[in-house]
Amino acid sequence: MRDTEQKPGVSRDNGLQSTSSSNYHFIHIHHSSLGLTHRLILFVLLFAAEWIPITHFVHKGRGGGSFLYIAVAFSSLFMAIAYFRSKDSFQRISSQVKKTPIRWSFFAYHLVALAAFLGFSSIPTGSNPLSYAITALWYAAGVLAIVLAACAFVPAVLVLEFVRTTGYAWVYALVAAIVAWRVTIYASLGNGAVWNPAIDLSWKPATDLTFTLVKGLLHLFLTQVVADRATMTIGSPKFNVIVSPWCAGFEGTALMLVFSVAWVGYFRREFRFPHALLLIPAGMLVVWLSNALRITALILIGVAGAPNVAVGGFHSQAGWIAFNCVALGFAVVTRHMPWFASNRVAPDMFAPDVFASSVSSQPAQAPLSTHAVHNATAAYLTPFLAILAAAMISRAASGSFEWLYPLRFVAAAAVLWFFRSEYSKLDWHFGWYSVLAGFSVFGIWLGLDVMTGTHAPSAIGAGLASLPSPGRIAWIVFRTAAAVVTVPIAEELAFRGFLIRRLSSADFESLSPRYYTYVALLVSSVAFGLLHGERWLAGTAAGLIYAAAFLRRGRIGDAVVAHGITNALLAATVLTAGKWDLW
Amino acid sequence: MKLLGMALMFVGVASFASAVSVPEIDPGSAGSAVALLSGALLVIRSSRKK
Repeated sequence: MRDTEQKPGVSRDNGLQSTSSSNYHFIHIHHSSLGLTHRLILFVLLFAAEWIPITHFVHKGRGGGSFLYIAVAFSSLFMAIAYFRSKDSFQRISSQVKKTPIRWSFFAYHLVALAAFLGFSSIPTGSNPLSYAITALWYAAGVLAIVLAACAFVPAVLVLEFVRTTGYAWVYALVAAIVAWRVTIYASLGNGAVWNPAIDLSWKPATDLTFTLVKGLLHLFLTQVVADRATMTIGSPKFNVIVSPWCAGFEGTALMLVFSVAWVGYFRREFRFPHALLLIPAGMLVVWLSNALRITALILIGVAGAPNVAVGGFHSQAGWIAFNCVALGFAVVTRHMPWFASNRVAPDMFAPDVFASSVSSQPAQAPLSTHAVHNATAAYLTPFLAILAAAMISRAASGSFEWLYPLRFVAAAAVLWFFRSEYSKLDWHFGWYSVLAGFSVFGIWLGLDVMTGTHAPSAIGAGLASLPSPGRIAWIVFRTAAAVVTVPIAEELAFRGFLIRRLSSADFESLSPRYYTYVALLVSSVAFGLLHGERWLAGTAAGLIYAAAFLRRGRIGDAVVAHGITNALLAATVLTAGKWDLW
Repeated sequence: MKLLGMALMFVGVASFASAVSVPEIDPGSAGSAVALLSGALLVIRSSRKK
């Protein structure tokens, strides 16, 4: 272990780019300097932090879930539409908001309303007038809590001004949110009947088309195809599935619609119109066809003797794999099709945005290295992306037990090796506090694990027991090596090395590794936590602690060692105590 | 801001993706799938600056 101490406030540049030895200083932002975007992010984080822990008991049977979906969709759509309609107003109000401090009194009122909301949640409801009144009060308290929290971050007068300047954006957003909700949610009609949009909206022709396509594809591979259009059952006598409306390709097509519209809309200056509009149905068509291929592949996997893989991992992963492949293909291919391209000079798509504009002072700017020399974003992100991609493939090829887990290690190791010359420029030293951070996160992780109760049973133990000894040992060796070596390096490069600075500036390499804003710190840690599924709280705490270790000296080595120690301790716990659910 | 807009869009969509448990798009894998897509797009876009 080696600790290379430095003077406080002065950082060595450990970025992938070689920069000057300029003195950098931590940039702390006062809350009154937070712009509209920052405050919205804080509001969303507060909302999530409060809602997620209590979601298990507050909306059961009261329609709160639907309310939440509509609220989230409305807010997202409204902000997106409003920004495009009134970009100037958005920025003007944002600058006004910066001059206004966060009003903690409203935050206190918010807590009172939230307490009332929780109180009403604990009262059982029925089908009598009193219950309806309680439910109404429950809704009122919930809405009031949200409104008061919003007023704490942004003064109501500015919110009203913003809504007024955006015209009917709120109407469009509300209509779109309600339509989307009605299309996706089963609805009780109150007379015992249930309105199922998947059936009642007559998707039948499109589902039939998927069925026909799958049937045609299966005939290429199988001599005997079972295809009952009345029940939508298709496959072979040995293995067959039912093509329901929901797996007929609508979800992927809808996601592609959103993605392609957003992509073409956001980067519209790069495209030639109306030509570029053709890309949208083309993308949707490709996704829809990929779904037919997915169903065909699923059936063939089942017929080949792996029904557990077909209905297990492949079933849940193939849709995302197909969508991601098509979306990325869309992004890449559209760059190389001159017929769709605008003749104008393409703008910098990732120009410094509001994250950078709202800090109170700009960091010292190091001389920019040329982007033509290398792609630092790729060096920082690709190992993590390789793990994610390998995980999707590995899960798709597995049933309940992910036997192909070593693929994650191999993929990450290969990418790390590919970029090794870039990483040699980073500071891999570490200090005593990184060891302390590693142990601390381990303690927090186990503590929260005990506090949050039981987790879903792990299939690892049974899966390993079914393997021969050499296979079992090899799997454990790769799993441990990934946890201790490749995962810490890849995740720390992505979340601490890249994301904290990238959220502050598109030109993140010009910032000191020690540079951060509170919002960037929080967002990167929450994102890290969310990737840990049901252990999102422990993950967020871990992200904050690893970030603290990283930012203390700006050394990636500190964060990696802290992360590696945590994972090593967890691996030891798993292997010695048989607590497979920790993996 | 473009990234923020894209993120807002996907938050809106994800709220519905998690609304029902359906076969084609698994809500449980949404986090890692969207992270993979977003990261890959960042890498693709950053390479454009060359």
